[in-house]
Amino acid sequence: MTDHHNDGSVVRHRHRHEGPRKHVIAFIFSIVLTAIAFATVAAGGVNTAFTVILLLVMAVLQVLVQLGYWMHLKDKGHMIPIVFMAGGFFVAGLCIIAALYWMWW
Amino acid sequence: MSTLHAQKATNTLPHEPEKATLEGRNKILGFWLFLAGEAVLFGTLFATFLTLRNQVADGPSASELFSLPITAVATLILLVSSLTSVFSIQAMHRGNVKSLLTWLTVTVLLGFGFLCLEIYEFYEYVTHYGYGMTTSAFSSSFYTLVGFHGAHVIFGICWISIIIGQVAKKGLTVVTAPKVYVSAMYWHFVDVVWVFVFTVVYLLGKVVG
Repeated sequence: MTDHHNDGSVVRHRHRHEGPRKHVIAFIFSIVLTAIAFATVAAGGVNTAFTVILLLVMAVLQVLVQLGYWMHLKDKGHMIPIVFMAGGFFVAGLCIIAALYWMWW
Repeated sequence: MSTLHAQKATNTLPHEPEKATLEGRNKILGFWLFLAGEAVLFGTLFATFLTLRNQVADGPSASELFSLPITAVATLILLVSSLTSVFSIQAMHRGNVKSLLTWLTVTVLLGFGFLCLEIYEFYEYVTHYGYGMTTSAFSSSFYTLVGFHGAHVIFGICWISIIIGQVAKKGLTVVTAPKVYVSAMYWHFVDVVWVFVFTVVYLLGKVVG
């Protein structure tokens, strides 16, 4: 952050800012994961337990791609946000498990 | 503040204007904490939904109700809007205000399209199936969860629209840049929540019914 290069636009373009390419790849990856999920359900006839696991894996993968690439969590200097989000998801998961356990077992 | 606003000419901006000031960096850090809290909020709503999803009373069940094509189109719209939101941040990093405003506008319009689909979907459920908020425990938890996500979309549309106006008026500065960045984070998070909504509510609803 000390290195600002305030002296002109030419310098700015040389910075580490990636082009749209990486984000378009993340987008295509998300579309493919979504398509697999929808196609599996639309086709039907697949083993239910397998479908449930497949759907959840597709969702988690897609969320990781979006958090990592689009929200930059995989970039340097994001340790604290990762801890925040991991904590949030952990408590969210705990709520779901606790509610289901409380009602149905 | 006046010295910051004097920095209007975009070619004098640092290359990551949203993180150039301590205030900007703190805003982003604080927003992550907010998003973590939002994750917990949606976690409780998902917990309620998953607990009550089979309690359909005399109303229709999930697999009778949901239509995959509408959900697929809504998902595609929201996913594309997340990408256009990324493009707006990249335009901001290039210091291209015009492109930034264009991509933000596209994002808002796509969000509005998503919202229209959701309103249409709810309208169909209420008019054709008589499936209201009080039909069953399943319907209450469904409308609360999906409606809460829809409310986030409405809020995002209003918020980003205001930011478009502010950037158009004040230009891209180290004061306005963090606002753009934080609103983009919010929009991505809304998309992240939707990934779980379409998976857990709609797709799993069709599969395990």
